[in-house]
Amino acid sequence: MTTVSVGDEIPEWTMEFVDPARMKTMAAILRDPYPVHWDREANAAFGLAGRVINQGPLNLGYIVNMLRAWAGPTCVRRLTVSYGRPVLDGDHVTARGRVTAIDEREGERVATCDIWLYRNEEPVVTGTAVVQLPA
Amino acid sequence: MAEQRDKPSITESELHGLVGHRFPGGSYRVEHWENWLLTDCTGAPPPIDDVVHPIALFHVPIQGVGTSITELFALGRAGGAGSVGLLGYDWEYFAPLREGVEYDIDGGIVEAERTVTDEGAIHDRVAFQIDLRDGEAHVARITNRWVFRRSQ
Repeated sequence: MTTVSVGDEIPEWTMEFVDPARMKTMAAILRDPYPVHWDREANAAFGLAGRVINQGPLNLGYIVNMLRAWAGPTCVRRLTVSYGRPVLDGDHVTARGRVTAIDEREGERVATCDIWLYRNEEPVVTGTAVVQLPA
Repeated sequence: MAEQRDKPSITESELHGLVGHRFPGGSYRVEHWENWLLTDCTGAPPPIDDVVHPIALFHVPIQGVGTSITELFALGRAGGAGSVGLLGYDWEYFAPLREGVEYDIDGGIVEAERTVTDEGAIHDRVAFQIDLRDGEAHVARITNRWVFRRSQ
């Protein structure tokens, strides 16, 4: 990582294809018994027949992967996010971020960043991250 | 996408009564295999050390505090997954989570509010907050907000 400045864009992280098989594994880890993540017929009532809905933590996970690739595996200090429309199997999504502030906190140099997960040009997750910057 | 909505199965007074509900409390230890699978689900390369992927702060607090997605839905009197929406998370990391560490976990419901949308739909917003500790060290705090959508 080169010197970080306010306004810098964080290198994007892309999930080319949201894989329904990973949703099944995730459902087991989360002990989430609701079939919207693995049963394609379960979503017919919501107008999504034939599709399954990605778990919210996985959507955030793509953003976290972007942050860790940029600033290291233990960089995340805070994530504050809100969710928009659901991400579905087969979607192509891209995590993006921009540095909005740099501060010293408790002996650490940290960057506050606006963060997003985009599907095409639609933000489906938006929020803020506080990230420790490498010394 | 059409939203599923439940008939209001909880009064506003009952909803407000959820604030202060405490979960049983307990502990949780992330094993390497679990971190490997969790990391793989995100599409990231496999972990190369004992640092747990940060999105573990979804399931570790819920399971470690002695509750479950099923119980949380039941507390909010949800009719099904389709009537529950994810509003957002506020996750604070005071130290990285590590494999093999037994974290002590406690928490409860901290907010419950009924709102009515411009279209007249009832949306009950509920937040729960859970803390993770390693001995005396405060490791993480999560605040998750869900919405329970009701029909009139």
